[in-house]
Amino acid sequence: MMDILFLLLGSFAILGAIGMVGFHQPVHSALSLILTILALAGLFALLSASFLFMVQIIIYAGAILTLFIFIIMFLNVKEANLPKEPTKNITLFLGSLALLPFNFLILRAFYQMPLHVNSVESDFGKIKPLGMELFTQWLLPFELISILLLVALIGAVVLGRKDEA
Amino acid sequence: MIANTLFGYIVVAMVLFSIGLLGVISRKNIFVIYMSIELMLNAVNLIFVALGTYHNDMGGHVMAMLVIAIAAAEAGVFLSLIIVLYRRKKSLDSDMFRTLSQKEAV
Repeated sequence: MMDILFLLLGSFAILGAIGMVGFHQPVHSALSLILTILALAGLFALLSASFLFMVQIIIYAGAILTLFIFIIMFLNVKEANLPKEPTKNITLFLGSLALLPFNFLILRAFYQMPLHVNSVESDFGKIKPLGMELFTQWLLPFELISILLLVALIGAVVLGRKDEA
Repeated sequence: MIANTLFGYIVVAMVLFSIGLLGVISRKNIFVIYMSIELMLNAVNLIFVALGTYHNDMGGHVMAMLVIAIAAAEAGVFLSLIIVLYRRKKSLDSDMFRTLSQKEAV
């Protein structure tokens, strides 16, 4: 059962990614990226990361990509304003051929590793132990991330306003 | 069987990262380039979570959360930049946005 789920979710993730790279219209690309994100959320659930499963669906698919599709529709891009890519397919094909040796290298490196995931405790990946971990061991990165978000917020406001002078 | 191994997750993450890299180097639409960067961040997230579960350590999960927060910040700045650039150039072609390089902007 877990195997069938894993194969389904993994193939959906890869199919969505291929569609994202291949589609010409940005809206189609964004919709197929949402498929990938949801499949990855399912993979997180298979890895017993239940809190990250929710975060992935709510924040990634719900907030970031919805904002993204909103901006694409807000810009109302005409077909003439899209970049013309006559050599897109051949470049993708040649690029994938060029990336194959690196992938074989990674596969060989990880094939040597012992494969079985250890069995985990019952509350592994739930919200309470994750919060304990976050606010004890990872407190400084957490605060730095909050400053980063503040800077990004101010930057977005400054960039997005109209030129007055 | 395969769902309990580390190897399957590594393969999925590797393929996703390769597709994202391919999108960055071979597409010209700047939206697709950004989405490829998001895809690469997601592949790295999957590896973090898989290794965290593999080692029975929650640090990988916390790291994945931090990566998601960085992706959110990046999305905000990037989208406001795109709006400004599209207002000026009326195009999504990444070859148009080279006013900072030495060549004359087309």
